[in-house]
Amino acid sequence: MLLPLLALIVRAPWSDAWSLVSSETALTALRVSVVVSLLAALLSVLLGAPLGWILARARFRGRSVLRAVVILPLVLPPVVAGIGLLAALGRRGLVGRLLYEAGIQLTFSTAGAVVAATFVSMPLVVIAVEAGLRSLDERLEDAAATLGASPGFRLRHVVLPLLRPQLVAGAILAWARALGEFGATITFAGNLQGRTQTLPLAVFEARQTDPGAAIVVSLLLVALSVGVLVAMRDRLLAR
Amino acid sequence: MTRSSIAGTCIILALTACSSAPISGGESSPQASELTVFAGSSLTKGFTELGADFEAAHPGATVTFNFGPSDGLAAQIDSEGGADVFASASQTWMDDVAGKAGITGRTDFVTNELVIITPSDDPAGIGSLDDLASPGVQVVLAAEGVPVGDYAREALTNAKIDGAVLANVVSNAEDDAAVVATIISGEADAGIVYVSDVTAEVAPGVRSVEIPDDVNVIATYPIAIVDGSSNTELAQQWVHFVTTGDGQTRLVGEFGFLPAA
Repeated sequence: MLLPLLALIVRAPWSDAWSLVSSETALTALRVSVVVSLLAALLSVLLGAPLGWILARARFRGRSVLRAVVILPLVLPPVVAGIGLLAALGRRGLVGRLLYEAGIQLTFSTAGAVVAATFVSMPLVVIAVEAGLRSLDERLEDAAATLGASPGFRLRHVVLPLLRPQLVAGAILAWARALGEFGATITFAGNLQGRTQTLPLAVFEARQTDPGAAIVVSLLLVALSVGVLVAMRDRLLAR
Repeated sequence: MTRSSIAGTCIILALTACSSAPISGGESSPQASELTVFAGSSLTKGFTELGADFEAAHPGATVTFNFGPSDGLAAQIDSEGGADVFASASQTWMDDVAGKAGITGRTDFVTNELVIITPSDDPAGIGSLDDLASPGVQVVLAAEGVPVGDYAREALTNAKIDGAVLANVVSNAEDDAAVVATIISGEADAGIVYVSDVTAEVAPGVRSVEIPDDVNVIATYPIAIVDGSSNTELAQQWVHFVTTGDGQTRLVGEFGFLPAA
């Protein structure tokens, strides 16, 4: 597991490292990456948490099918996810066509990169929230209900506080996944500096012209991801 | 329960993260009749069909291809090897392999030209190269460093419209195949690719607009046997086949390439 990381560190052109990291390409890609991954993590929580709740609590036929569909983007090759997004939301896509007529084009835009990253990240939140809710003692909610607490009150004061560790873990995992997203992004949102070129795309492009820069930018990405995951460690252990 | 499911998620994450890594040839034990050809992605269609011809003419021989942007292939050969033959869309990347991995028998075997493609319904009304500079036209080029991307920028510079067109670029694609895919899907208004990219399959999905000869760029494709090839005899036969033999005839006659000068 550590070998590729060590190799990157050994192979990095350290003498030029600072100038490569602070190059306009790297800094621009870093900015796009941070914006896109944070927005994707936020959207993943906003959309994924209710979905996780439905999967854990609602009783209806076809729930396991819904779960499979919701989690699918996680196991799909990202490029397939990108092609699917194009077919749905591209300017000639099923829904994208209507958006385009209304003056909204997601492809080749930062919003499109956020959509691609959210699509592949959201399942992580769904899984975390569903698992959290299932391990939650429903009698606590029932008790609150018998004490006259409204559903909104129960959600805010009973369920959400108990669910916090899973929500936070899901959000951080989603953020980390969004940070590393490549295939769906380049397929759906394209590769343009300052707009959709995130760090992974910058690495891919630099690899062709400047391998040293690719390694340094890779390490920048690794450092960010490690930071994210270390931040999560305490959440996982805190019970 | 919760903890283990999150751990499981981490494992899934780790597994999916490595699924996109390219795998180069040469993993199985080398057999006398196996040939691995690394070729620029513009050769995908032509070489794939020539491979079947070659196998038919050489019983027992198996040709395996690794298609991709020439620059990426050169980097793979330089660091990992695995190629018996390298066919590049530009001299630059053959020079690169010559200097690092080492090659023999280098020959130019075909040339190629650039062409503008638009979706078949031409949403932006592209009639000439200059139209790519019109405000609001969504242009897709291959990224810098990728041969067809560099050639396209050279042609735009020749036409003195590079500044305006580059401002219209909405994506720098991985290679010519990605540009073609984007245009066929109608997601962008115009792209610049090789004439040979507009194959019989592609032609119905796109509209071609010629680039004037005085600004167009001629790409010359070199082919060579990579040092350390486990099967130089078969490699030589392949190079001969596409340079002067039946392969050359089909590349020029059917797949839109031009003969080498």
